[in-house]
Amino acid sequence: MKVIANLHICQGHARCEDLCPEVFSTDEIEGKVVVLQSEFPPELEDKVRLAVRNCPEGALRIAKGAAA
Amino acid sequence: MTLQWQPSPPDHVPAELMVDFDFFKIPQGEGDPAQIWHDLVRRGVPPIFYTPHNGGHWVFLKYDDIVEGYRDHEKFSTFQTPIPPIEPYPVVMPQGVDPPEHKVFRTLLAPMFTPHAVRKMHDDLAQRARRIIDRFADKGGCDFIADYASQFPTATFLELFGLPEERLPEFLEIAGVFFHSTDPDERAQNLNDIYAVLEELFREKERNPGTDLASAIVAARDAEGKQHPWIDILNCGFLLFVAGLDTVTNTMAYIWRYLATTPEAREYFRARLDDPAAFLLGIEELMRINAVSNIYRRVTHDFEYKGIQFRRNDRVILPNTVANRDGAIFKNPQMIDLDRKVNNHVTFGVGPHRCIGSHLAKREVMVSMQEWLRRIPEFELAEDQKESSAFGGSVMGFTSLELRW
Repeated sequence: MKVIANLHICQGHARCEDLCPEVFSTDEIEGKVVVLQSEFPPELEDKVRLAVRNCPEGALRIAKGAAA
Repeated sequence: MTLQWQPSPPDHVPAELMVDFDFFKIPQGEGDPAQIWHDLVRRGVPPIFYTPHNGGHWVFLKYDDIVEGYRDHEKFSTFQTPIPPIEPYPVVMPQGVDPPEHKVFRTLLAPMFTPHAVRKMHDDLAQRARRIIDRFADKGGCDFIADYASQFPTATFLELFGLPEERLPEFLEIAGVFFHSTDPDERAQNLNDIYAVLEELFREKERNPGTDLASAIVAARDAEGKQHPWIDILNCGFLLFVAGLDTVTNTMAYIWRYLATTPEAREYFRARLDDPAAFLLGIEELMRINAVSNIYRRVTHDFEYKGIQFRRNDRVILPNTVANRDGAIFKNPQMIDLDRKVNNHVTFGVGPHRCIGSHLAKREVMVSMQEWLRRIPEFELAEDQKESSAFGGSVMGFTSLELRW
């Protein structure tokens, strides 16, 4: 599973970082999302999905399969 | 209720979209100023309506429309938006300008308010909170607003701006007038006072730069290596002053009011004192349910939205508290669920103007609560609350809140 962030949409709410710091961080310049591991392990799937659903901008999405 | 006024809608507003609603007026005896907004929804008024009060303005009541009001700056601008209109009004920088101009100061301020930067402030915030609590913890009670909720964010502002804490009373005074005076002359004088303080502050930081935010703003250079226009610098200071004080104070007031009457909530947060991630999750729900800001926008040009005619310079209010309890978005929207999983609240807005201080605000609320609960784990509302302490407007809240323990 892979998570993709759209930096044009991200406004730096950092909800993803709060909810799943294993996969999401934020940069020190604009405070926008930094995806630490876009291909995340299955045990983090619930947390990543929660982070995606909590993004107030809808800037995150999960893509199935490595080709996505 | 007798209808005291004869509505005379602007000619582009159909009569069925007119509602008699004054968001500054809180009925006598109403404990929660946000209730007037939720009553609108309960009464089933149109989700987009127009009120002739306060110079006349639209109100959006649906989450989706409120989000649209935030996102679409080409329709709904942040430039010169006060309701009722105040002329002249400072161009609050960068909140009061639209992209792309907005980006200049946003970029300048952003690094100082990132989650990373705010995490580094944690220990200072905690020390400050403890210092303030020390002054009243042994007294068995306090006026939460005067003794804690207004002091803490104001002292934090002074620290950020590299000003000594001795100036706290002076800043509490001018902030008090700014947020609560309705007298036009006093307000005009107060704006002058605030700008005089900012002028003096930035001049001093130009001569003797420090590591504070004010020094950074004054030292910043534009793409051509020049200092930003002086008026923009002052307006940026004004924004930070206006945005970071009353909002935090009243959010805290709402939260403590809830904690004082809800033993399970005190227990919930006490059990998470040493687990900041879990604590923050609970705070997030309190931010959703206690959204104190009603945000203004100005219509940029004539257009139709959802079949309704909007005219250039129409004002619009986006009440966050209403968006945050929209049943189409939130499960059991009126219920406070500290373990709520999906919580896309708009307390800090969305889109390009997302509150730049949101991470600091949340950290301030979190730290002030952690330190309080460590020192004063149990407390309740005192019996002698002041009448008519609740106020409405662009920031809703309370002028006093008596607690005891």
